Amino acid sequence: MLHYSFMQNAFVVASLLAILCPLIGIFLVLRRYSMIGDTLSHASLAGVAIGLVTNTNPLISSFLATSFFGIIIEILREHFKRYAELILVIVLSLSVGIAITIISAGAAHTNVEVFLFGSILTVSRTDLYAVLTLSAISLTTVAFLYHQLVFITFDEEGAKIAGIRTKLINYVFSILVAATISVAIRIVGLLVISSLISLPVATSLQLDKGFRSTLLFSIFFSFIDIIFGLIISYWINAAPGGITALVSVFLLITILIFKKLHSTIITATK
Amino acid sequence: MITLEKVWFSYTPSGPYLLQDLNLSINDGDYISIVGENGSGKTTLIKLLLNFLSPNKGTLTSTFTKPVYIPQRFENLNTQFPITVYEVLNCYRKTLKIKDIDCITYSLNQVHMYEYRNSRIGTLSGGQFQRIFIARALLGQPDLLVMDEPSNGVDAKSQSEIYLIIKKINRSAKVTVVSVEHNLKAAIENSTRIYHVAQGSGHFCSPDEYRQEYLQANTRSNPYATL
Repeated sequence: MLHYSFMQNAFVVASLLAILCPLIGIFLVLRRYSMIGDTLSHASLAGVAIGLVTNTNPLISSFLATSFFGIIIEILREHFKRYAELILVIVLSLSVGIAITIISAGAAHTNVEVFLFGSILTVSRTDLYAVLTLSAISLTTVAFLYHQLVFITFDEEGAKIAGIRTKLINYVFSILVAATISVAIRIVGLLVISSLISLPVATSLQLDKGFRSTLLFSIFFSFIDIIFGLIISYWINAAPGGITALVSVFLLITILIFKKLHSTIITATK
Repeated sequence: MITLEKVWFSYTPSGPYLLQDLNLSINDGDYISIVGENGSGKTTLIKLLLNFLSPNKGTLTSTFTKPVYIPQRFENLNTQFPITVYEVLNCYRKTLKIKDIDCITYSLNQVHMYEYRNSRIGTLSGGQFQRIFIARALLGQPDLLVMDEPSNGVDAKSQSEIYLIIKKINRSAKVTVVSVEHNLKAAIENSTRIYHVAQGSGHFCSPDEYRQEYLQANTRSNPYATL
């Protein structure tokens, strides 16, 4: 299967995603923002639609559109402090509204299904380079801001007092989320991106470790999720998005059962 | 040293003034407990001292260059957060751009929590948790330590441990301490001076004077207390 160049491309992109998604996801999940990941992934459909109409690379257009909506969320957060979930509804209405209007009017001539469900076949060389660039930028930014992000996530008030520019970092982080989502669309499709962002983190949270270990384990889990997703989808000829999502839920349940068994055994032996 | 002269403060531009005409000075090396009823403006006062808020009228001058603030425990803090004691301190160290990694060991030893460095914060008791926050505050070698009810939600045995630590930081490390207290016993036993906030204004009293005032105020309002 690896002698097909599209599969090689897919595996490289998948491996990058396996690192990127939980890296962004752990901060989103721990700040209780996992729904923002979901909203932005749906919002990226507007970017895809605009890209298809204007004949630009959908990866670029979805990155631009998703960053735009990410920043809108940050701005609206100031106005709806106590109704955070309402912001998501507003952004969803705007973005999905744009997407449906463009797509249903028949202006986009490509099959949108590919972007909704993901596809291994669509990963071209140009995409590969774009994904590499975006991943490199995102990884460097997170590495650079790592300690500040951990601090903000753990104790936002304390971070502000310690002199961290939390607002600026929140904006930068929104753009990182946007970049990750645009990259992930190719493989898993925008409908289930949030499964890659949140589920490996949810799984590794079950291990009760410190921050760095939780992050490393969630990268490990997301690697399993996405690689198995790709291999299985190749053999049964289905969209990788659905299978990746299913594998990630399956892995979470396995860990939950294992944990339960483990604690039962420990109490039984005492 | 912090000096407040005729300080008035209100959260809204038109008033009412929560703090009125405050005059006080805090000297280097003081351990001041701020006491008073709920809503009397204690927390607002420490926010003024820390420059998080600025007075509407009057002047506030501070010579402290490295103040730190330990807010009330459990306020917006997720204790199930997957982070170890070491990681909590290390991200603070990185934020303050302190190069010396040993400062983490040093400040954990000061609060007697070194053996817990690899524990997840969710596994700590309330008192241990508070000690970690004190250790974190000490990383930057502050000259002023401001706390809001350091013993809130902490069992009696750990409370005395915490106050021993704070007292030691104040007396041996010469860090000025300002602490909002509901724990009157702790305020009387540990602080050098007590600042009593009531009805928008306040005054200093010695621990003994405060004990008298407290007894008077509380027995007067209670007709059955005939001591």
